Amino acid sequence: MKKTLPFTWLRSTTASMLVAVVALAGSFHSNTLQADETCMSPYMAKIVGQEDYVYVWTLGVEGMGDEQDKLVTVSVNPDAKDYGEVVHTLSVGGRNEAHHSGLTDDRRFLFAGGLDSNKIFIFDIHSNPREPKLHKVVTDFVEKTGGMVGPHTFYALPGRIMVSALSNNADHGGRTGMAEYTSEGEFVASHWFPTDDNLRGAEKSGNIADGYGYDVRALPRRNVMLTSSFTGWSNYMMDFGQMLSDAEAMKRFGNTMIVWDLHTRKPKKVFDVPGAPLEIRCAWSAHNNYCFTTTALTSQMWLIYEDEAGEWQAEAVADIGDPSKVPLPVDISITADDTGMWVQTFMDGKTRYFDITDPHNPVQKYEHVIGSQVNMISQSWDGKRAYFTTSLLGNWDKTGKDDEQWFKLYHWNGNQLEHQFTIDFYELKLGRAHQMRFGAYSLYSQAPNSSDTVVSQLDK
Amino acid sequence: MQHPMPILRILGLVFLLINPVALTVFASTDDATLESAVFGSGDRKQGYDTDQYVTNSLSITARKGAKADLLKYINEPILGLPAVSQPVDNIATVEKVELGRLLFFDRRLSLNDTFSCAICHIPEQGFTSNEIKTAVGIEGRSVKRNSPTIYNIAHYDILFQDGREDSLEQQAWSPLLAHNEMANPSIGYVINKIKAIKEYQGLFEQAFDGKGPTMETVGKALAVYQRALNSANSSFDQWKYGDDENALSQDEIAGYQLFAGKAACASCHLIGADYALFTDNQLHNTGHGYATSMGIKPPKTRVQLAPGVFVDVDNEIINSVRQQPKQNDVGRYEVTQNPYDRWKYRTPSLRNIALTAPYMHDGAFSTLREVVDFYNRGGIENELLSPLIRPLDLTEQEIEQLIAFMQTLTGSNVKTLVADAFAAPIGDISKEDPNWAHDTQYSD
Repeated sequence: MKKTLPFTWLRSTTASMLVAVVALAGSFHSNTLQADETCMSPYMAKIVGQEDYVYVWTLGVEGMGDEQDKLVTVSVNPDAKDYGEVVHTLSVGGRNEAHHSGLTDDRRFLFAGGLDSNKIFIFDIHSNPREPKLHKVVTDFVEKTGGMVGPHTFYALPGRIMVSALSNNADHGGRTGMAEYTSEGEFVASHWFPTDDNLRGAEKSGNIADGYGYDVRALPRRNVMLTSSFTGWSNYMMDFGQMLSDAEAMKRFGNTMIVWDLHTRKPKKVFDVPGAPLEIRCAWSAHNNYCFTTTALTSQMWLIYEDEAGEWQAEAVADIGDPSKVPLPVDISITADDTGMWVQTFMDGKTRYFDITDPHNPVQKYEHVIGSQVNMISQSWDGKRAYFTTSLLGNWDKTGKDDEQWFKLYHWNGNQLEHQFTIDFYELKLGRAHQMRFGAYSLYSQAPNSSDTVVSQLDK
Repeated sequence: MQHPMPILRILGLVFLLINPVALTVFASTDDATLESAVFGSGDRKQGYDTDQYVTNSLSITARKGAKADLLKYINEPILGLPAVSQPVDNIATVEKVELGRLLFFDRRLSLNDTFSCAICHIPEQGFTSNEIKTAVGIEGRSVKRNSPTIYNIAHYDILFQDGREDSLEQQAWSPLLAHNEMANPSIGYVINKIKAIKEYQGLFEQAFDGKGPTMETVGKALAVYQRALNSANSSFDQWKYGDDENALSQDEIAGYQLFAGKAACASCHLIGADYALFTDNQLHNTGHGYATSMGIKPPKTRVQLAPGVFVDVDNEIINSVRQQPKQNDVGRYEVTQNPYDRWKYRTPSLRNIALTAPYMHDGAFSTLREVVDFYNRGGIENELLSPLIRPLDLTEQEIEQLIAFMQTLTGSNVKTLVADAFAAPIGDISKEDPNWAHDTQYSD
């Protein structure tokens, strides 16, 4: 039985006004703006019940199938007759280094980026959630932003999509920024990350202001936006084994996180967080003013939190696995009640569950080998379903028999993961499975397997 | 390890203090920013091997410069260099220089619009890449050799590290078509793309007597721009050829004497009576290529994870994420198939050597110190080792003096050349361009 929140799509102008009001008020009612998958933008519409589809942004592989990137739609509603099957694929042309994707605030469109080609593919997922359509391709991201390369995270703000980049068109290194687009895919502004010659008003709280970028997340009730830092094109596109053996290249990783003023988009404070802090996941509860990240190279969990004096701080709070073995923590996901966090470690193919009830003292409670390699996780709002995929980057994935590429569903019973199904993306000649986003008919007041709007539900 | 750049900057500051003309030139804030931006990547990593590393980073938007008269670097010999030899059918003109520069920085001249010549030959990084040992091409494909600097490329008789080309006009097409570089599928594809980009409308015709973009004119334009990137009149040149006996310090002079004498560097890196190319335009086996092809690696590799944080990683783990086996490299042999040419590589010019790390054909050495240590040991023994390579028995002081000398080889016009490059537009795909990868149904 699906539950549906009111369809809360706002026109961009109205939405922009809303963010201003939220920022001025300094408070935020989380119950009114929620998301289904945990850790999503609180500005997004939300699926309360069962998701119908998972959209998997998938990298094409030279010599396999049609060799190009595609959006793969997997049916995940156990009531559907095609449960656990790929029901649609949409090839977009080229190997763009498909990586992350993000939904607009109204969830009608999915923005998906190519870290290599710098294209942004905007999919219409509302007209027929089962069969997304390619609505628009933004080809001029680099030119419009003034030289940013590698559109990475797509994070919904009211009427806007914030796009953090990884690199630049001058030297393909790590100095970069983030760009602001409308939900319609029109460029609005560039926000470059602070460097020593131009801190853009931010405080350099430690030794480092490298100007690198990766993820972006917001805590609207605190008027805070956070960014993290990875590496530039020359590294993320390089053969991973080659890069590990290149001493110069290994110096080119991000070591910072930045706290921004969400409303003004101005950087406020640059933290030293050494070892490539990647994914940022923020707590959901109205009183939990903190976010987590993990450092890919140094294998640490960091807490970025607001202290009692109202000052933002960064603190290393736990090791993940044995850092000397470089397990490479990648995607993370916090449970909806802020008590647990899943951490994937790519090299050993494990997922680890940490109790984060005390965010300053996370404790690992459980671990499970998902496969020879694992990267992304998306868990449902109720925490009962966890989806996993494999690919890290086209030239970083494992090779030979360890280069498994799949989509898996597990159920979490609170104590252990129970495998439900696996879809082998190589067997289906699809490519490398990367990031996942949820879709549901209920979002658009549609009946399952129909593109018709059920008018009677619009007023609920 | 100590990167040579800080020493260079200190030398630059000393230069400023003793040279009132220079003080005038670099007086304004903008000039100071430019001065800071042109020598090395703005993403500075000096001291990164310690946990006390402090950034001194520059923003990408600080890369601002001014167009220069590059033609004079072809037509007017620079102190320390001979006159530039030009093909009779491609005499440089302003129009050709400007067109060549436009092409050089145009990322659209690759299969997926992401790669220009300048992505591997980065102006402020010595027109090479200081940030990676070996080049990375389109879609991250591995190139097995270090990007060579193109400073003073006009004075090479042979091009590429294995000398497989001898004409800049022809050379330009190799990276454009190489599968692991810019990956264009054909010559015609490139020509048609250029014809479709509005910025080039009329420019070829203007530069080449009415002739539009062709295989010949594209190669010629790129050749002329690169032929203009001559850089000399260094401190060394002023001392050696300019009769300025104060241009070098005593240690630098001692380094020069070692270079030309005991260390015998000048046997290959030639210094003449009237000019110095610092290359013999020949290929030699120093043993470095041999060792890389035939050597046995230790079971672990030291990997840096963060400032001052290193781990020794099992090579088995590294190999588990290596997409392709490390490409073998047999040097000149790959061109001639002559077994006597195994592991021979072109002698690089040492001009601007302080700006062009990492060193050797595969970028294996991060610093000049490592390079000098290698030659001081006599290279690596193998049956084809050049007879010019032998143990040098240099003392610690002599090594330092030798390095000090090599750091005097930075040309006086580096700032001008890099600033000129900064002023060049970077060609990125825009809505003005044909939407070659997507049907109109997907566009606005």
